[in-house]
Amino acid sequence: MIKTEKIVHLKCSGGRKLRRVVREHYLREHVPCYSALCQAGCANDGKVLSAEVTHYVVPDVSVAGDYLEVLDFTELQGIVFTQTACQAVQHSRGRRQYNRLRGLLKDPRHDCVLFANEFQEYSYCPREKGESQDKWQTRCVYNAAVWYHNHLAGLKPVVMLTEDKDAVAQYSSLSSGVYVISVQDYLKNFWPELQAAQELYCSITQALQEKESEGTEREYAEHLPADILEAGIKSGRYIQGTLNVNKHRSQHEAFVRMEGSSNKNTDLNSDVLVSGSKNRNRAVHGDTIVVELLPKSEWRGKATSLTAGTGDEKTGEDAQSQPMPTGRVVGILQRNWRDYVVTFPPREETQSQSRSSQRVLVIPWDQRIPKIRISTQQAEALQDHRVVVRMDSWESTSLYPNGHSVRVLGRAGELETQVQTILVENCIHVPPFSEAQLREMPVTSAESPWTVDPGQASERLDLRSTHLVFSIDPAGCEDVDDALSVRMLPGGRRLELGVHIADVTHFVAEGSLTDLEARARATTYYLADRRYDMLPGVLSADLCSLLGGVDRYAMSVLWELDAQTVEVSRVWYGRTLIRSSYKLQYELAQALLDGRQAQEEVPELAPLPADARDAKLAQLVQALETLTHIARQLRAQRDKGGALELEGVEVRAQLDEEKNITALVPRQPLEVHETVAECMIHANHWVARKIQESFPQHALLRHHPPPRQEFFGQLVDSAKAMGYAIDTRSNKALADSLDRATDPQDPLVNRMLRLMATQAMSNALYFSTGSCSQDQYYHYGLALDRYTHFTSPIRRYADIVVHRLLTAAISLEKGQVPKGPNKASVLNKELEEMSQHINCKNRAAQQAQKLSTELFQCLYFKDKDPQEHQDCVADAVIYAIRANGVLVFVPQYGLKGAVYMRNREGQVLSVNADGSCEWQSGSIQRHPDHISTSSSSGSSTFSLFHHITVRISVEPSRCHSDSLHMEMISNKPHRSPAAGPQSTQTQGCRPSLVQEVVRQAEEASQQAQEKAARGPKLSKEEREFRQSKVPNLYSLLEEARELALTDLSICTTR
Amino acid sequence: MAGLELLSDQGYRLDGRKASELRKVQARMGVFAQADGSAYIEQGNTKVLAVVYGPHEMRASRGRTLYDRAVINCQYSMATFSTAERKRRPHGDRKSTEMSLHLKQTFEAAVMTQLYPRSQIDIYVKILQSDGGNYSACVNAATLAVIDAGIPMRDYVCACTVGFVDETPLADLSHVEEGGGSSLAMALLPRGGQIALLQMDARLHQDHLETLMEAAMTACKGVSKVLDEVVRQHLQVSVLTGE
Repeated sequence: MIKTEKIVHLKCSGGRKLRRVVREHYLREHVPCYSALCQAGCANDGKVLSAEVTHYVVPDVSVAGDYLEVLDFTELQGIVFTQTACQAVQHSRGRRQYNRLRGLLKDPRHDCVLFANEFQEYSYCPREKGESQDKWQTRCVYNAAVWYHNHLAGLKPVVMLTEDKDAVAQYSSLSSGVYVISVQDYLKNFWPELQAAQELYCSITQALQEKESEGTEREYAEHLPADILEAGIKSGRYIQGTLNVNKHRSQHEAFVRMEGSSNKNTDLNSDVLVSGSKNRNRAVHGDTIVVELLPKSEWRGKATSLTAGTGDEKTGEDAQSQPMPTGRVVGILQRNWRDYVVTFPPREETQSQSRSSQRVLVIPWDQRIPKIRISTQQAEALQDHRVVVRMDSWESTSLYPNGHSVRVLGRAGELETQVQTILVENCIHVPPFSEAQLREMPVTSAESPWTVDPGQASERLDLRSTHLVFSIDPAGCEDVDDALSVRMLPGGRRLELGVHIADVTHFVAEGSLTDLEARARATTYYLADRRYDMLPGVLSADLCSLLGGVDRYAMSVLWELDAQTVEVSRVWYGRTLIRSSYKLQYELAQALLDGRQAQEEVPELAPLPADARDAKLAQLVQALETLTHIARQLRAQRDKGGALELEGVEVRAQLDEEKNITALVPRQPLEVHETVAECMIHANHWVARKIQESFPQHALLRHHPPPRQEFFGQLVDSAKAMGYAIDTRSNKALADSLDRATDPQDPLVNRMLRLMATQAMSNALYFSTGSCSQDQYYHYGLALDRYTHFTSPIRRYADIVVHRLLTAAISLEKGQVPKGPNKASVLNKELEEMSQHINCKNRAAQQAQKLSTELFQCLYFKDKDPQEHQDCVADAVIYAIRANGVLVFVPQYGLKGAVYMRNREGQVLSVNADGSCEWQSGSIQRHPDHISTSSSSGSSTFSLFHHITVRISVEPSRCHSDSLHMEMISNKPHRSPAAGPQSTQTQGCRPSLVQEVVRQAEEASQQAQEKAARGPKLSKEEREFRQSKVPNLYSLLEEARELALTDLSICTTR
Repeated sequence: MAGLELLSDQGYRLDGRKASELRKVQARMGVFAQADGSAYIEQGNTKVLAVVYGPHEMRASRGRTLYDRAVINCQYSMATFSTAERKRRPHGDRKSTEMSLHLKQTFEAAVMTQLYPRSQIDIYVKILQSDGGNYSACVNAATLAVIDAGIPMRDYVCACTVGFVDETPLADLSHVEEGGGSSLAMALLPRGGQIALLQMDARLHQDHLETLMEAAMTACKGVSKVLDEVVRQHLQVSVLTGE
């Protein structure tokens, strides 16, 4: 035990009093330096600084705190963070900044390490009497830099970064090989080509300077200190929650959703309203805050009328609902600020501002975020650009938060910029896969294709010759992650069903760079016109994909079933080696099932002679039939338990949209879809059982909590208006009553009701079994007691985790102690964190998908003249009533939106004899199930589920996304000139919408390329780095699904 | 301020130790001439004085006399200046009574009391400076004092605390670390590996108990090595000086 003892005197402010605390401090001779150049044989395990860089950088305390974002650039390599700096960041900058620093240190893509200088005998320097903390910290960092230089035997020059001018003067000439310079000089001299870093540096510096010259006039009440907040929450005086700003009244209305069941006010079961910006007290959408309830006399209701979201209307005379609990923000527990996309204000406004100061108030793209004040000289140049900014602080003396700009996204209005905006706003970070990551991938090329490793082949169960394996997927699908097999076992009483899933974990080792990247992405992102893969293309489209006719590794579940009752008598889980015989498409499989003559279409059979072909075909058809039989039985079993079919008959038809793209085949819900889905649900369920039994404390499952009854209010009321009773007590009752509520005249009614039911549902979530009690494992939508995701490891990270757990469970069963990086060492806490992360990313992916769809909808209507173009007029159904208008659903485009019955001038919409509408002065009356207007020309009534005709136009917006505006032009259902049946015509439209927009965008970008030779930079990069961008069928499918408004997150089956 | 990070990612604790390292232990025996045995120990910044009187005949309450073995009487106290804030600590408050009882139980297991029937052994310990691990420092000090008094014991009694942070057991907790989570105190007779006392007030998952006990035993054995050295050195010195 080599230990010397040093005693440091620390003055800690514990509460109000200042206390002197004596702490021990142990120093040691051997502290690992984590440099590849180390001559002294340090025990450097883990991340090591590369030896290739020209110098090492040691940032001092203030640099590590203020300019961490600059150090974030991966171009800056060889950064040594000292322990002194780290601790200072931890103590003075708060948890977020510190976690960021820690993340940086852990991230293998960043070349930076932590050197524990204060525990090193020779680099430690005790604080001298009368020395200020800043000076001491700078001295510590300098000593560390000198030690580092000497430790590496002077092989590498060390640059210490500091913003302290005195330190530069004092230390710069003290020792050779250690340079002390400011960040600005450093960036200028060492990285002159890294323009982005310098700009970021400038904007941070300016933000810091501005902060010092703050005014003193108080705009907001001070926040209470943390200990008072904590005590208040405990005693029930304050309420903790997340702030949710109303998108349409961002200035005035915000709600606080309470967290957990910890609050003691049981009478308070709704959200708390925070009204006005003074009461909101600098809280920003998404922050975790603490509110205090106002006395009951000051409670207000939420506004019920529709507004255009401009936020400039007077709130006074607005109709309000029942007063609800109202509060004011007294403190903020955790800021959840992210990167925001903003736009600079128009020129004339800037000029008036710039006279008084350098600051510009920029307008965030997200309407829920307040304006941000940044200081920049580039306001002119960036007029029509979208820029990413970060918020730094919001003092009580300032009306708006302070921030700094980070990078420029591009011109507003360009498709690429808008898509990037969506990504940034949802915190989706999808850089191209790095060289290092791609180097981890197995090599495969046309000349030397990848082959099965004989070692692996002997370990795996070989199903290549014994089983008929086939996959059924949408047309054009590249990443086939599931395949099926079924056969009759000898004796004829039992069947063997097999589900084979691509063995991604074989290629993606835990902790590898690819794994880390996949974990960070958590899912493949599907946008309307492109997708961002979770795994590099070589895996997702080739080696992991269970393509036909090639050997592939798989993870299989094989059940032995009773041929009649499909009762499971045995399950086998394990790794296998398969060769898929057929890569079928849904339509083809259905055609085969229906007995249509389709053998010519099976490409795998084409080269065979006729008799062999028939035999093979019979075999395949037989398998498909057995499969269908099994699936029907399984489905019936789940239905008995109360499985919900929320997509509804009509909506499920939307899933088959891919046909519209390839060929026009009558679209009917194909049973084969359901068959495949059912097999996948079955596999997921059984895998969930297996891992939960093997790891009761740390298995990753997916549950779907029962919805809160109060959310069903709208559904029940609307259904009552149409004369249906909806029973929401259990999932079974709900499913049955939804089935009953059909209007033979109007299939849309049922669809709308299902839509409302879907909206009432809570989201299905991943969780770790250790953090929930067993009765919470239930999956409401599927009516299964345990469920997980196992069947799509190529595009979901959760499935990869489940695969690893299953592998560990299998080896545990065999009696092997799992070891190495593959052991199931993921503990509950870690797993819970991971599932939170995946949930969060999934939500972001969905949101991004939705936004990009909306974007394309807008682009579609943008170039059309609403007065003339016939596409702009459509049929709509009223599904909700508001005080000054109605909410409608346009089935043709899958749009939802508001239709105003009263405009800004107070005029109301009146209906003429022929059904057409016009604005007249009059009054408006709202009832639970209808809304009526009366004017000089008579009164008219609009009730729920009425069909009306609307005209759709685009409302352009400078700073936000464009939005669609709908105007009622007739109270009669719309008859399209094509006069075809409504459904055929409608569904033809949607994919063509995307295609057309994509085509337009491509044309536009081509033109831009020719003009400026600037070209769409991103697409080029993407081509290089193997991120697919082409509007492929898969993404179009996804898009169609989104348009159809199915919330598939709830019942996602595959 | 962010919460304290008891164990950094690099595996260092707040004071620079690794997870399984003990604090520096320094001890002296025979610090007072008037008592039968005495010792002073420093475990990091925890400083304890222990004094032993006896064995002598029962003094205070004859009713408690045991006819087959000696009675062990322990008294634990903390100096007013032992913590960061000066505080008067009257005798017989709950905490010190509990601690006295624990000490008594520990030493009843270690001292060969059956050799001294109808007599009494007094052990007085005083914390001069407190910085975590008070109980274990007291046990270690008292052991040295008992040895100094020449009272036969089965083995050294060595005590140490261990804590559990981020799935890692930490040996010999300091005051800051004790506040941060579960801590387990163990008194061990190291040669036979018998546990004289085991105490834990916090919640801990059953699966972790074994690793924690293992770590505690290792730590106790480490302490015993130091104590053994102190005793040997003391004896050498006293032989040389011809005391």
